[in-house]
Amino acid sequence: MKKLEEVLQDWEAVIGLEIHAELTTLNTKMFCGCKLEFGADPNTHTCPICLGLPGALPVPNKAAIESIVLAGLATNCDIEKHSMFYRKNYMYPDMAKNFQTTQGPVAFCMRGHLDLEVDGAGAKERIDLDGLKPGESQGNVTATEDGYVAHVGITRIHMEEDAGKMVHIGGDEGRIAGATHSLVDYNRAGTPLIELVTEPDLRTPEEARLFMQKLRQIYLAIGISDCSMEEGSMRCDGNVSLRRRGSTGLGVKTELKNMNSFKNLHDGLAYEICRQAQVLEEGGQIYQETRHWDPSAKRTIVMRVKETADDYRLFPEPDLAPYDLTDEWIDGVRAKLPELPDQKAARYQKCFGLSAYDARHLVEHRATSNFFEKGMELAGDKASKLAKPLANLAINDITARMNADESFNLAECPLTPARAIELVELIATDAISSKQGKEVFAAVIDEDKDPSAIVDERGMKQVSDTSAIEAVVDAVIAANPDEVARYKEGNTKLIGFFVGQCMKEMRGQGNPKVINQLLAKKLNA
Amino acid sequence: MAYNANMNVADIRAGLLAGDFTAREVAEASFKRIEELDGEVHAFLELTKDAAFEQAAKIDEALANGTFDEMGPLAGVPVAFKDNMNYEGTHTTCSSLMLENYVSPYTATCVAKTIEAGGIPLGKLNMDEFAFGSSTETSAFGPTKNPWDLERVPGGSSGGSAASVAAGLACVTLGSDTGGSIRQPAAFCGIVGVKPTYGMVSRYGVVAFGSSLDQVGPFARSVRDAAAAMDAICGHDPMDCTSQYVKADFRAACEQGVEGMRIGVVPGFMNAPGLTDEVKARVSEATEALREAGAEIVEVELPHADAAISAYYVLGPCEAFSNLARFDSVRYGYCAEGHKDLGSQYEASRAAGFGMEAKRRIMLGSYLLSSGVYEKYYYPAQQVRTLITQDYQAAYEKCDVILAPTSPRTAFKFGEIGDPVEMHLSDIFTVSINIAGNGGMSVPCGLGSDTGLPVGVQLIAPQFKDENMFRAAAALEAVYGAAPIAPDFAAGKAGE
Repeated sequence: MKKLEEVLQDWEAVIGLEIHAELTTLNTKMFCGCKLEFGADPNTHTCPICLGLPGALPVPNKAAIESIVLAGLATNCDIEKHSMFYRKNYMYPDMAKNFQTTQGPVAFCMRGHLDLEVDGAGAKERIDLDGLKPGESQGNVTATEDGYVAHVGITRIHMEEDAGKMVHIGGDEGRIAGATHSLVDYNRAGTPLIELVTEPDLRTPEEARLFMQKLRQIYLAIGISDCSMEEGSMRCDGNVSLRRRGSTGLGVKTELKNMNSFKNLHDGLAYEICRQAQVLEEGGQIYQETRHWDPSAKRTIVMRVKETADDYRLFPEPDLAPYDLTDEWIDGVRAKLPELPDQKAARYQKCFGLSAYDARHLVEHRATSNFFEKGMELAGDKASKLAKPLANLAINDITARMNADESFNLAECPLTPARAIELVELIATDAISSKQGKEVFAAVIDEDKDPSAIVDERGMKQVSDTSAIEAVVDAVIAANPDEVARYKEGNTKLIGFFVGQCMKEMRGQGNPKVINQLLAKKLNA
Repeated sequence: MAYNANMNVADIRAGLLAGDFTAREVAEASFKRIEELDGEVHAFLELTKDAAFEQAAKIDEALANGTFDEMGPLAGVPVAFKDNMNYEGTHTTCSSLMLENYVSPYTATCVAKTIEAGGIPLGKLNMDEFAFGSSTETSAFGPTKNPWDLERVPGGSSGGSAASVAAGLACVTLGSDTGGSIRQPAAFCGIVGVKPTYGMVSRYGVVAFGSSLDQVGPFARSVRDAAAAMDAICGHDPMDCTSQYVKADFRAACEQGVEGMRIGVVPGFMNAPGLTDEVKARVSEATEALREAGAEIVEVELPHADAAISAYYVLGPCEAFSNLARFDSVRYGYCAEGHKDLGSQYEASRAAGFGMEAKRRIMLGSYLLSSGVYEKYYYPAQQVRTLITQDYQAAYEKCDVILAPTSPRTAFKFGEIGDPVEMHLSDIFTVSINIAGNGGMSVPCGLGSDTGLPVGVQLIAPQFKDENMFRAAAALEAVYGAAPIAPDFAAGKAGE
């Protein structure tokens, strides 16, 4: 199978996402007073309503309506003042009423959008933007200095209830195939769920990944969900089809499920694009079907073939009156909107002089941006000087640590914002080298000590004194006449060798900047 | 005077207060009558003796403590409930094999309110399966008979609720009305039956047929008894978000008279092709009786009323299809054994668990909601609904209550109407009220001159002005008297 970059030369992928988020921060279910709790004993949070017992009626959770309106306002949607619930009829044991209460043609939130800043390696998946100068636009995309911004439409965000959870017994890995029987846990049944549907505006797996990531940041910022992709409180399905570069029609799409991490979302879509290209290039046909991404086998497999569109017999839910929201109520919700990630990034650029890239990556996690802000408060009049190194520490070292260790909790970590400021100041004032800085970073976390204490203990002072360094540089040059000769013949890469030798002599404490300067001066003389 | 089955709510209250009898004696006498007479009528599906005697003990204690006055408007009154109403610990079968063994884990609000108001719960009452029918013949547990003529149907779907009151086996019962299921059996059994405005009474705990049409209401032999029951059950329920905050005093409305009240008569109804002469004659007399009592009679038009049956047989089955989907054999209810996969278990269980009329409505609803069909039926039916609602609103600018026949004819014989469409047409005067959401009640207005069977006249109120129809109903009762127990079941028959 061809690689994604190769496939995208000939084919354009058309991707739309459907993203479900459980409103886990609410106390109770969508239509009854049962408690929302993950991991409770099966069927302990149930009542006649969420069990769909005969005669039970739904009563809407007003806090859930507020949550979805917050989500809509945070994603630039129009809030529909008049909307209704509908019944989506299908029979399956995880849905006790055998219909799901959802919304019809008019959802609470309609016609929104998010702008995605795509840069770095991820921007290279868009091969059709070559030659576009910063500021120039093509379709929904505007080029920037180091990538582009994609304007992605949101069709709607609607409210619905989640189903219960089925556990299949006796089959392989809990799958239904080969199972002898199934169990149902209705604790999750009736959990308020919002589903966001994008326009088919996404063109690369990277854009899809960034959309999901940005939406997750927004939902976390407005506090409507814990957005755990692993526990399934935020889930993403992708619709993908291909068309030849230059054509405008739409190909047959497949629906992709089980992309329960950002990596799986990217890799699943990338695989499916390559698979479809191969089928089409071999003269085959794409069938409208639901496919399952298997991350361990790194391929997608057919779950269900849709020969005809499902007929859910949607009709207005007669047990729930139409919802009429007033302008005052909507304004009240708007007033509760916190600072959103984009606004925060803009503030960081303006107040702390961070680059757009640094600011954007800093706000990816609330933990890192909170950490950064506390550090800036403590830095006082040094804030503008230390902003960039502190941001780098947060984006690179801290984020790497968080990614490597799931249990790492920045808020409870020995590396407090105060210690971080101390550390970046040591580096900024050339007291220690940035390499030593990495060692101190790890030691602070492991030993729970102040950076200055670690520096003292380990004798890790950086030597920036020119005369001391000059002596070492002279000695190294004198000891390596062959290398000096080759350098002078034009092999300038050998500068690295000389720096290494100087560092070795100085037990890693020499200021690399000064060493470089002095070496260059003397070798080029 | 000792308790007897003729007594109305006020008589029972007075008797208890005077110490003529105890609540326990009321309960004992009631069960004695049921045990001796219900074999002929088959109104009851289950008796709730433990609950009845427990309630009677509470009432007798209140009498002894002098706190009886604090009890509600139905204190000591023998009551019973249609079997689509959940009452914790009882079977709630909806007269279907599907729910033959289903025991309610909770209690419907209307049942709870009736018992809170002091009613002595006697049991659960037969009905058409899932309330689909107009004769109680579709009950999986055998039909209920009309106490006026045991060869005739009591009407339906709340046939057990009507027949039990007509036979003097209960004083007040609750039924539900989706297209006429309270008013038509009340007319057939010669008693009072009330379908309140949609939203007056909570539907929580009442097994749904057509959620946008269903409404709970009382049966009684007198208008004032029905008013007492309405005072007990109406009002907002946080568990039913379609129920409304209403302030009403139905017992007070009964004393207001009809002086100056405008009664609307619909020529289209009075000249309907299926309306029998005997019913037309009695309804016309009732109109005159109200005029003599001081009301003004005006003609009003309901131009779209003819379309009500068509809209009803679209909207009702659509909602029923969806409401009945939960009866799938998985969690409760009838389950056909021996099926290895889910699909065949669903099919076999639903094929055996549901009767013909239920299947007909489910299939109809499933078809009407399917894509491509929905636009042709469901949507226009909703538009018709709007037109009919507007018709009523316009009519009520000219009148305070509308008077119409309840049913085009008196009670028919078992098996007499085999064609389901003809059966559906017996709802012709009642369904438009459910479509528009208004209140309606049937009040007895004498016996038909041809059949000698009870005739009912229907009073239809503007939305949430249900007190209007009680004013007119009380005025009619002043002329016709309260309904008697059906002659063959007169008090004393059970050896009282």
